[in-house]
Amino acid sequence: MGETGRCLRSKQEILAQFDTLRSQLDNFQDTREKLIKASRDATNLSKRLIFHLHHIMTEGSETGPGVAKIAHPKLVQIERLFADLRPDLGGDQFWRYQRAISPGLQEYIEALSFAHYLTHNSLITWSEVQNRLSDESGSPVSCLSLSRSDARLACTHFPLPIEDYLLGVSDLTGELMRYAITAIPRKGGRATASTVCAFLRQCKADFGALTHHSRELTKKQRVTVESLHKIEDVAYAVAIRCYEYDLPHDILDDIVSRTLDTSQHGEFRGKQGDCADLGYY
Amino acid sequence: MNTQLDYINDLLEKDSELRDKIRDEVHDLDKKTRVMAGILNKLHSTPPDKVAPLLDSVRPIIQSCQKNSSALAEIIPPNQFWRWKDMWSFSLRNAIFSAALVEYMTSRTLISLEQVSATLGIDDAWKDKFALTAEDYLHALITLVNELSRLAVNSVTMGDFDEPLKISTFVKDVFAGFSMLNLKNDTLRRRYDSLKYDLKKIEEVVYDISLRNLHGAKAQEVTPDPTKSSE
Repeated sequence: MGETGRCLRSKQEILAQFDTLRSQLDNFQDTREKLIKASRDATNLSKRLIFHLHHIMTEGSETGPGVAKIAHPKLVQIERLFADLRPDLGGDQFWRYQRAISPGLQEYIEALSFAHYLTHNSLITWSEVQNRLSDESGSPVSCLSLSRSDARLACTHFPLPIEDYLLGVSDLTGELMRYAITAIPRKGGRATASTVCAFLRQCKADFGALTHHSRELTKKQRVTVESLHKIEDVAYAVAIRCYEYDLPHDILDDIVSRTLDTSQHGEFRGKQGDCADLGYY
Repeated sequence: MNTQLDYINDLLEKDSELRDKIRDEVHDLDKKTRVMAGILNKLHSTPPDKVAPLLDSVRPIIQSCQKNSSALAEIIPPNQFWRWKDMWSFSLRNAIFSAALVEYMTSRTLISLEQVSATLGIDDAWKDKFALTAEDYLHALITLVNELSRLAVNSVTMGDFDEPLKISTFVKDVFAGFSMLNLKNDTLRRRYDSLKYDLKKIEEVVYDISLRNLHGAKAQEVTPDPTKSSE
């Protein structure tokens, strides 16, 4: 043994090697902390954007293109955060730090897919997200660190992991549930709710086919199913009264908003009959 | 959506095939490290003059780990080393430990990271697919110190009073190296904290030997006293 490489024969040699190891470990920790901070920033900006989108949708003054216009600069801001991380995530380094940036990335995907749904009524695809996380998204990203020959690689900031995409869009279902339920009391809101409901059913089916690949996704799937149930409960509350009485719309809206208060406190399912009825009559 | 779903499913399917392949290879490596650990365990009951053949029987097994290294380097896609490394860290650390113990018992020196990489047939060119990380190396060194503190005790029982003194010097040097690191609150840190107890144990053995003026004594001149082994 020891035919190649050197033996550490003295204390000095041992200490010299530990010195090298120390700087390696320190560099790793420094980069990791930097990325965790960036990831937190991305999370905060994304949460704020989601909140903002909910707010403008509740106001009801914006339609698809308007939403896109409002969301775009904020999304670009987050994308720039990711673009700046590029020097630390090149080549084999991406997977080294993937877990550090994953939370921010997923939150961003949630915000992006929410804005996308509000604009296009569809689920953003993996490649659409990856495209936004690249220079072609229109954000001015310097690629000085990359050589010309890496032109193809130079496009993306880093490879977008399928898992992060799936977990990010899984969180979208929760936002859509909130969006659909707050929409119901408003004019045309019941149609919105039923579109969202159909969309969530599709999501549930699609993601359900993939859960055996990821334990995390299985957990998120449970939340998706819960969100779907909440919308279905509300749809039921609306429908049963539509069938029973020929209610005018303003009264119907009143019932719905009362039902909602209960359902959002999580005590609705299972005793919807008595709860809703007592509440109103 | 459906074409995308198929695409994603396809990618995930490929990942899980890859995972299976890695698992098979790691399983094989793991088997070898167990055999080595089994043989090296006999160090605690092998008199100094019989140690060399024992180490010789381990060397070919270490050598054979090179096959696992190159197989893994073959399987891992470019740039994905860090994605999969947790799957083999445990086994690789055990292999590093065996190599380090054999090296110490042979030359009384610390095997360097480069040296152990070479011993296990890990090529620098595979950096993005299969490599030996600082963490794995350090974990293995802690295991080595754990093992040597046990050996210090047992060599006294076997009547060898030089070994604990050698171990003491060596372990102190390694510990001095570890104290230079800025360890975060992780498993490495926790295991590093355990080194103090190993050090203490070895010092107690050395103290017992010096107190009784046993160092330099030949094994056959002194009847091994079982009470000392219980220190």
